[in-house]
Amino acid sequence: MVKKKVAKVLAFRYMALAGILVILAGGLVLLPKYEKHEGIKPEQLLSNVISPERYITTDYLADKLVNQDPSYLLIDVRDEESYNTYTLPNAINIPLAKLLDEDSEMYLNQDQFNIVLFSNDNFHADQAWILCNRLDYKNLHVLKGGVNMWYNTIINPLKPTEDMPAIAFELFTFRKAASMYFGVAYPEQFKAKKVKKVIPKKVITVKKKKKAPAEGGC
Amino acid sequence: MKELEKTKRISIASTLFILIVFIAVLTYERPKHLYKVNSIATLEKLTTADYFISLTDINNPDFVLIDVRSQFEFEKGHLENAINVYTAEILNEANSELFKEIKEKGKTAILYGTNPNEVNAPFMLLYKLGYNNVKILTIENSYIENKLISKDIAIEKSVANIQAFIDESVKKASKVSKQKVVVKKPRKKTVVVKKKKKAPAEGGC
Repeated sequence: MVKKKVAKVLAFRYMALAGILVILAGGLVLLPKYEKHEGIKPEQLLSNVISPERYITTDYLADKLVNQDPSYLLIDVRDEESYNTYTLPNAINIPLAKLLDEDSEMYLNQDQFNIVLFSNDNFHADQAWILCNRLDYKNLHVLKGGVNMWYNTIINPLKPTEDMPAIAFELFTFRKAASMYFGVAYPEQFKAKKVKKVIPKKVITVKKKKKAPAEGGC
Repeated sequence: MKELEKTKRISIASTLFILIVFIAVLTYERPKHLYKVNSIATLEKLTTADYFISLTDINNPDFVLIDVRSQFEFEKGHLENAINVYTAEILNEANSELFKEIKEKGKTAILYGTNPNEVNAPFMLLYKLGYNNVKILTIENSYIENKLISKDIAIEKSVANIQAFIDESVKKASKVSKQKVVVKKPRKKTVVVKKKKKAPAEGGC
């Protein structure tokens, strides 16, 4: 008797299992819309953003430019007008509004160059950097202080006063030399040339020793 | 007998399948923070200037001031009625709740820091996470005798026309050098007549 009942219930087991599967399949309809996560996670982006390692200083950049390091590529994110007025040597112009265009991606998403983004301050350059970092572009840097800092340190360096340490003077000499490289001319540059004395060459003549006439003899 | 074994396999397989689905559903965890705005839309927002606000416009009951500097700086001095949310902790649960609450109440969060550059990162992150009620206060904070001084500043303002400066310097320098050239008197030409050397006597014995 019991066996019969069990057999009766067991006869429905496929129906029951199939029923559950159908219900589960129906559940798929209720799933929330798939949210595509573009780029890296927000937590990761935050930790990248608060670290200052993306910044490079104007002195460092000037050094790289003077030594003509081929691995550095400069990108000006200001508008075209500012770019045409003045820009750093050999910089490419990608205005912030055109940052995510297809043509720009070629420059930004690569691993051959160290890209240095800059603007007047580092506000817009930072924004460009954050946008690119979310898309996981590598090798991007930001010029700390931007073109304004470039002007204040490299193009028009402040002369150190007497009470400053020797390092300040060394830095000033470097910056002044760099500014000459980037096109600034100083009056003393020319003065120095005129004042330059031609030091007469001292000719040291070595007197030949005269052979002593043979003494004596026979 | 063999047929019975086959049917058992089917029921075992289907129960296992159902179990797996249940476990998957139970263990699924939604990521805490999801971007709601994509990069292109964010860029469009950045190119407009309506996310800036200046110091004179903040006296509005709908604005909530948020200080993104560290707690130490905040306690040293801050604007009136500001709430401290340090940038590094902006994704904390408590802070997320705070921003959600501000948004639900229809208020606007005004972010400020030492300078606008510092506010850039938290602003962009919040905007990407879907908080479109955030703005940047364009001020620069400094201390004079431990008293907080806030000043409005212009963003991305060029300090000098560098090209003009370079041209000017070249002009100045060349002027100086030209003057020098003028002062110099042209040298007198001295014609040196070479003396003919006497030809050595040729020949002879």
